[in-house]
Amino acid sequence: MLRYAVRRLAGLVPTLFAVVLIVFAASRAMPGDPIGTMLSDHSADAAMAARLRAEYGLDRPLHEQLLRYIAGLLHGDFGLSYRYLHMRVASVLAEGMRVSLTLATAAVTVAVPLGVGAGVLAALRRDRWADGAATGAMIAALSVPNFAMATFLVYLFSIRLRLLPVAGWGDAGQAVLPVLVLALPAAAYIGRLTRTFMLEVLRQDYIRTARAKGLPRSTIVLVHALPNMLVPLATSIGIIFGGMLSATFVVETIFNIPGLGRLAIDSIFARDYPVITAIVLLFTVFYALINLAVDLLYAAIDPRIRQDNVREAAR
Amino acid sequence: MMLRRFLRMRKALFGVAIAVFVVLTGVAAPLLAPADYTETDLGSVWAAPSPGHLLGADKLGRDILSRLMFGARVSLVVTIAVLSVTFAIGVSAGLLAGYFGGWIDAVVMRVADIVLAFPELIFAILVAAVLGAGVVSVIVALSLAWWPGVARLTRSLVLSLRNEAFLEAAVACGTPSGKILWRHVLPNIAPALIVRASIGVGFIVMAEATLSFLGIGVQEPTPSWGGMIRDGLEGLRTDPYLALFSSTALGVTILGFNLLGDGLRDLLDPRVGEG
Amino acid sequence: MTGRTMAKLTAAILALNLAFSAAAAAETVLRLNIVADPAMIDPITNSELVAGEVMKPMYEGFIAIGADGSVIPALATSWTTATDGKSITFRLRPGVHFHSGRLFGAKDVKYTFEEILRPGSRGGLVAPYLRNIVGATELAAGQAKELAGVRIVDPLTLEVDFVKPDVLFPIYPFQFMDSFIVAEQGPDWMTKVSAGTGPYEFVHWQRGVEVAEKANPNYWGGAPRIDGIRFLIVPSGDTALSMYEAGELDVVDVPESSYRRVLSDDRYAKELITAPRAQIRYLGMNQALYPPFKDIRVREAISLSLDRAAMIKGLYNGAAIAMNGQVTPGVPGYGADLPPLAYDPDRARKLLAEAGYPGGKGLPPIEVTSTAPFKDELTYYADQLNRVLGMPVTVKVVERATHIKAMNAGEVAFFPWGWTADYPDAMTFLGDCWYSASPYNRSRWNNADYDAVIDQARTEGDAGKRYALYHVAEKILMRDWATAPLPITTYIALHKPRVHGLAVTPFGWSSFQPVTMD
Repeated sequence: MLRYAVRRLAGLVPTLFAVVLIVFAASRAMPGDPIGTMLSDHSADAAMAARLRAEYGLDRPLHEQLLRYIAGLLHGDFGLSYRYLHMRVASVLAEGMRVSLTLATAAVTVAVPLGVGAGVLAALRRDRWADGAATGAMIAALSVPNFAMATFLVYLFSIRLRLLPVAGWGDAGQAVLPVLVLALPAAAYIGRLTRTFMLEVLRQDYIRTARAKGLPRSTIVLVHALPNMLVPLATSIGIIFGGMLSATFVVETIFNIPGLGRLAIDSIFARDYPVITAIVLLFTVFYALINLAVDLLYAAIDPRIRQDNVREAAR
Repeated sequence: MMLRRFLRMRKALFGVAIAVFVVLTGVAAPLLAPADYTETDLGSVWAAPSPGHLLGADKLGRDILSRLMFGARVSLVVTIAVLSVTFAIGVSAGLLAGYFGGWIDAVVMRVADIVLAFPELIFAILVAAVLGAGVVSVIVALSLAWWPGVARLTRSLVLSLRNEAFLEAAVACGTPSGKILWRHVLPNIAPALIVRASIGVGFIVMAEATLSFLGIGVQEPTPSWGGMIRDGLEGLRTDPYLALFSSTALGVTILGFNLLGDGLRDLLDPRVGEG
Repeated sequence: MTGRTMAKLTAAILALNLAFSAAAAAETVLRLNIVADPAMIDPITNSELVAGEVMKPMYEGFIAIGADGSVIPALATSWTTATDGKSITFRLRPGVHFHSGRLFGAKDVKYTFEEILRPGSRGGLVAPYLRNIVGATELAAGQAKELAGVRIVDPLTLEVDFVKPDVLFPIYPFQFMDSFIVAEQGPDWMTKVSAGTGPYEFVHWQRGVEVAEKANPNYWGGAPRIDGIRFLIVPSGDTALSMYEAGELDVVDVPESSYRRVLSDDRYAKELITAPRAQIRYLGMNQALYPPFKDIRVREAISLSLDRAAMIKGLYNGAAIAMNGQVTPGVPGYGADLPPLAYDPDRARKLLAEAGYPGGKGLPPIEVTSTAPFKDELTYYADQLNRVLGMPVTVKVVERATHIKAMNAGEVAFFPWGWTADYPDAMTFLGDCWYSASPYNRSRWNNADYDAVIDQARTEGDAGKRYALYHVAEKILMRDWATAPLPITTYIALHKPRVHGLAVTPFGWSSFQPVTMD
């Protein structure tokens, strides 16, 4: 098991290195000149432009810039921001990171019970009205894009019914809609998986035995069925996180939440390459680590996976 | 017989109906649209639905219905383009990797790993930011982000076929690899790939709309549902028609294609699990 | 004493405590919105509009701008200009203290100028104004250690010598800072304190959230009546308005995208304050890049094809003013008697035909280019010019820095753009935008007569005579159809009834010093 973990971790390194390369290349290839943005409306000053270029190291050859960047990364230093002059990228990100983490955690906390609950309900009431309704709702939540969903929700709850604030971040009321918009698609995804797994598990012999023994439905579900589904469900967490990471870009923009997603979009338009690079890297590394953790969990439970991988590696 | 089974699945039929409707609208937009989608009329900005503008007008007085129709056309073009490119590259790469193994496999999988290391849309956003906005960049960005998934799927499908008897027989007969892939492997994995393609349509439409919503997708004056929702959000409080109608169009379309994809999957390849 | 009595007593004491501390902590803080984070908050690198809003309460220059656009003395009580315009002697206000407590004087003015010009400094908005000072070039090139043209006569008197006459020097938007601040607080002083003389001081800047300032009780103009200001960073207009309605903002600067919502709602009518912006907008036509523009009839035809009344109503919901020239109301020098611009498509078509392009035939395709905020206007122009004139115009949206660089290089043929007044004098428009040699004359229009009048105005110290010259120049500009002026939008703001003493001027918020809140 440990060997498997180490091997996976080692395999991650070249991938992450390639990711850094790609993101760095992308940030340098983006159209628009950050120096020009810094000089803003008074960009006719060539001397100042040259000074800025030197200060930010943009006059060095590309490979040198890349090496200095990687060296900085290893120290946790993402460089200087282009938009917020004098500020280190790390400080620009610090506040946004807390907000995004809170938002994502809240969304997952809502999504998992909601999804599992809906999935179990649908499975238990298979092919009856409740199943149809739940499944239909899940498909709808997965089909409607989050910004479209946000539009409807905001219109209904904030504008027409005036129950919730339109946007902002600070108190519980403001968090309801954004968390909901993030959580619903994830819940739907979990729900569908739960329903499938549940149906599969319910067909097993040991369930029939339990039912024959006259155990109450709730005991069967909670004690016998659910625990068998935890691992497959856990593996879907990786996918959910991936979707949620990119969904925050949209949700934070709509609801004016000062998180990393909104910062990333603003930075793309403001040509703040170091910030965009840092956010993309952070999200990607986070996503990769989550997937790794899930894979390891799966492999720890199911020895066959490890064997398969050994066979594959030996091919 | 399959057809009868399909017809009995109401959800799938509903999906087919929507999909057909959207595709026809997109194709026939130049004929169906009641107005020129570029015509501005500053006297009717944000107009409510009326005989002159059946679904109302947007912030420049342009007819929403016409713009929705042409938006369907744009989504159609992008989807077909992305599917074609993704499947052409992805299936080829997956076939080669799965069948021949060795260094081809290693290279393809490594590249796929790198692209798939990025969370969903973020890779596409990065590419679109580099290439600048526009239909072509959206197509390139989405294709680059999606082909690895198709490649991986193809590869695992090929791998699961490898030990089948009919393949071993073909190899023993000395059939050239190309013929094996084309005649024997491909037809067997086609159903699963078709399912994947139909499920993929929904994702592509959603991704294109998201990129346009964020401002890095299709540009003026070409209408895009995502861009229309973005414009509409500005007036949501006083003039909600633009935002609501375009959100509905987008939501219903993706829903339809997802239902269609689900139906096809239940029909053609019940082995492949949900999600 | 029983346990119960003890408990009640404790509760009572706690309650009283809370009440007192609540009362003591009840500060009057004015909450406003800004559209984005400022890019910087120090006077040396200050170069953009959002930062300007946040800096104005903290830093001051020689003069301040009154609510009607007039010039009032601030840190300079008076000045005398030499007859040749090449030297100005300033008498500075006595008894002014920086936020640090130190006295303001001539040394701080000289220090501020030198810091902006020093090599390695990212000198901001005001750097170009300083280049005209004697010795500026040497200082910027590293050849001199100090600015020779600025002489400290005594702690409150300063003499500035110029290479070329500059009668407008006193009204430039300078922001003087404490010359000892770096020694005391280090090079990142701006993240901890402010070093100005204004009625408010820096408290903190939380990225993406707010910039907070507190009252400076020792302000020379009288201590502010409220305890502080918080500039909340709200990119979305809709959100800002919702926050205002919910009571989270006391004053809201309404962004253009929300004009419609505000102006159509009666609830806001009594809380509205407006002022025409001191900002020109124009359609730049580069004659060198698109030959048809060389013909004055084509330029006039384009201007006649724009329905400005419809634009004001449809694009700006009525919150805009049609402009006939290139100086805005409220800016000294405004008032030339210019013929109103008409919407006359028939005449436009006739002129185009006379110029040799009947129905637009023969006109090469052209793009009308600008940045994302102009997207709607661009769409309108392209559609309108196509429809009325048959001119093959397509829309091109580019990103801001690229666009500005291209415009500055004179590489953009057809573009709507604008210019915000940097100081209260029409020269900021007429000289910066339309003088032939100005680096910000982005359409590269030039006219020798116009230049001659501007040159004369630059040396005219008497304001009345100078404004008369501006009128002459503006008439030349418009008679030559140098551009098609576009409507200028009005500032719209809402303020809660409990806020008093706040006004919007063409140059932005009036001073926050006299503001009171119930």
